[in-house]
Amino acid sequence: MLEKNQLENYLTLCMKSSADFAEIYEEEEVTETISMLNGKTEDVNRILKTGIGVRLYKGVQSVYAYANESNPEVVLPLIEDLRDALGKEEKDGKVELTKTEYENRHPVKIDFETTPLEEKTDLLKRATDSAYEADERIVKVQARLLNVKQKVQISNSEGRLIDDTRVRTRIMVDAFAKEGDNFQSGGDRPGAGMGLEFYETVSPESVGKEAARIAIVNLSAKDCPSGKMPVIIDNAFGGVIFHEACGHALEASAVSKNQSVFCGKLGQKIASDCVSAVDDGTIPNAWGSENIDDEGNFQKRRVLIDHGVLKSYMIDRLNGRRMGMESTSSSRRESYKYEPTSRMSNTFILAGDSEFEELFEGIEKGLYAKKMGGGSVNPQTGEFNFAVQEGYLIENGKISYPVKGASLIGNGKDILWNIDRVCKNLERGQGMCGSSSGSIPTDVGQPAIRVTSITVGGTANE
Amino acid sequence: MNKQAWIEYALSKGFESFEIYQSVSEEKRVAWFDHEMSSYVTSHVTGTSFRGIINGKMANTASEDVSDDKMEAVISAMIDQAANITSEDEVMIRKPAPAEETEYVQTWVRPSGAEIQELLKSLEEKILAKDPRIIQVTDLEWEEDTSRREITNSYGMKVEDGTKIQALVAGAAAMENGEVKNDFKVETVHDLAKFDADKFVNELADSVLSKLGAKGLPSGNYPVIFEKDAMTSLFSVFTGMFSGDLIGKGISPLRDKIGEKVFSELVTVMDDPRNQNAANLANYDDEGCPTKTKTLVDHGVFKMALHNTQSAMRMNTESTGNGFKPGYASPVGVHPMNCYIVPGDKSLDELCADMKEGYVITSLQGLHAGVDFVTTNFSLQSSGYYVKDGKRERSVTLVTVAANFLELMNKVVAVGNDLEWSYRSVTCPSIAFSECAVAGE
Repeated sequence: MLEKNQLENYLTLCMKSSADFAEIYEEEEVTETISMLNGKTEDVNRILKTGIGVRLYKGVQSVYAYANESNPEVVLPLIEDLRDALGKEEKDGKVELTKTEYENRHPVKIDFETTPLEEKTDLLKRATDSAYEADERIVKVQARLLNVKQKVQISNSEGRLIDDTRVRTRIMVDAFAKEGDNFQSGGDRPGAGMGLEFYETVSPESVGKEAARIAIVNLSAKDCPSGKMPVIIDNAFGGVIFHEACGHALEASAVSKNQSVFCGKLGQKIASDCVSAVDDGTIPNAWGSENIDDEGNFQKRRVLIDHGVLKSYMIDRLNGRRMGMESTSSSRRESYKYEPTSRMSNTFILAGDSEFEELFEGIEKGLYAKKMGGGSVNPQTGEFNFAVQEGYLIENGKISYPVKGASLIGNGKDILWNIDRVCKNLERGQGMCGSSSGSIPTDVGQPAIRVTSITVGGTANE
Repeated sequence: MNKQAWIEYALSKGFESFEIYQSVSEEKRVAWFDHEMSSYVTSHVTGTSFRGIINGKMANTASEDVSDDKMEAVISAMIDQAANITSEDEVMIRKPAPAEETEYVQTWVRPSGAEIQELLKSLEEKILAKDPRIIQVTDLEWEEDTSRREITNSYGMKVEDGTKIQALVAGAAAMENGEVKNDFKVETVHDLAKFDADKFVNELADSVLSKLGAKGLPSGNYPVIFEKDAMTSLFSVFTGMFSGDLIGKGISPLRDKIGEKVFSELVTVMDDPRNQNAANLANYDDEGCPTKTKTLVDHGVFKMALHNTQSAMRMNTESTGNGFKPGYASPVGVHPMNCYIVPGDKSLDELCADMKEGYVITSLQGLHAGVDFVTTNFSLQSSGYYVKDGKRERSVTLVTVAANFLELMNKVVAVGNDLEWSYRSVTCPSIAFSECAVAGE
């Protein structure tokens, strides 16, 4: 990371242009991936990424340059290029930085970098053994351990200088089950903004067992019926429905350009009364948490929807300018190779007051989506989709049999009105969210919810 | 960095063989929004990855800081990594193999910054003037990516080449009766002087406006045509089935199927890294193995898998020169390069006329989630149009299409003639199928 006076010189030079704001983002990231197949370690891959990104604003125009060397021979020509793009101007005044210190909300107990490799491969071995032990029909197990340490330092022409270290770990297990010619898979991939102490709370055995359980359920799954029907979406990763159907359309990157179905709806009712939702980047050691966002502002808890009423968008500095609104500390990026923009952190529907069993009452025929896969959305039209990883048919208020190959589609502006029950059992699940500023870790979450009507896409047509 | 010094140091520390892969990439993006340049991005990044074999085990690592004073730390970490590998698979770093090189005949003419801004400005004006229902140019971006790679190893290999791409991305939104629809278009531009802006604008506007007034379809089984873009995106997520790595591991749906009929006899699949029509070609893969043209599926029969060095050794065969990696830091995987379904002789209009009635899918969403690679079951959000009496009747949106990909590929009625490469490294023509499950109203 660059010294304060070097940063001050670079920022001062940046401002000798028609720019009204300049920012330097520095990053050093170590990623370690360990892959195991059937209990044998196949690959240990370590990657060190290091780079610098310089950004200048002039009103709502942004120019950005990045490189993986921060010496003057590389950085000065980039700054020249950016000043040329906006127009050079001789201005007096020097940028002076003041380092902001704070207490780390996400402390790490066991550092993966100083932990011997054999202790980490042992975690994968335990997960693999547990998957095999779960059922004799498990014939193959793939397990991966991901450890990331990302150090960032952010400075800007307003005098801010701040840094953050983000540590994350995730275990990903895929189990494969075989019965005759029927070959199915199941997966589980929990993670946290923690060191290896995470595996003291979530045991590798439980992850292997869960992956095996889903693969075994899929062996007996039948084709999923299709058409509009009531759907119960269970907690944790089920929250991907809110992430896709609503979350992306509340990001300022869509709202500021009038490209969201929720433009101009602040203070208005956009969901049924039982829906309250937040985006909270401050939860200690959560997968999508960090001390500061990627523009150097302290992360926050943002109430997005309160009993159906839209309370806030998620806003970064640049899009905030287009909207005439302040940043909500929602600026994130995968790495220095991306300009940051408004993104989610840990986004979830808050707990309601229904009991889980009550959700099934009165459903003659519907779908119980126990585990969800990922999805996507077009924020401007509101059309979204997401995949069901583990689903069951509901008949006459009861779970009937497992179904496979289902996806759910709908429109975000309608679906939030169709949520009629919200359960008490709030949990979060981990995912990677892809958008214009790259792939970033985010938690989705919710308690179990009931949607009165949604299109289910399956292969069984009656 | 002094590559020879790194190699010599690695060998002195007990490595049997050692490889350095280095890529230098440069990017330039100019975005335009609401009558002005909204964003300009420029970059220069050098990435280096190392592979080395010690005691029969392969270690992999990558770094963006490879000053020579890091040599000791990197090599010692690699020794530790290799010592923890328990897989008994044989590994190898390739010796140099002389090969005939194909020269890429297409050239890219780089426009000036002023020309790019002028292009974006005029495109925005033209798109907005096209139809009063077009309310916004949502995306407008010029992109240039240049990269060079060099593979050097302890056997004296030195392979060096580069790729370049220039592309234009544009998106627009249209509104009618309070309903908003959008679409976008990507096109490679070799030379701005030869770029037909009016054709580009017309195609984008037609595609956005045609989405207005779209409705669902009653759930049921329909004859369908996957139009070339939708067919390409569906086929792309399943090209992993040809990977010798996944076949060897027993995960590919085509495991144990070599020599068997897996698709309709109307389907032939080629992998041709030296195809002159593609955006880029490669004479060598990322291990320095010479590439070649291969028929993967011949009239429905699965002829051969794609391999890198390791997957080939596992299955007692030779690498097919498909040891590519998605980025310099990724381990070498098995990937297709310029892979396509061989076109037939009918135009999309003729396919529609022959189908008489059915659903033409022009776009698929949710491909990263709604696909089960192992079983090949998929269920995806789609949009397109309904054909009646052989002609386009109305637009369709928000319906799912669901099937088992292997079963679907055995229901081919006809393969279209509209294969297009542009920026793609996997591409398909439009294909008509006898039936597919659709869920909507």
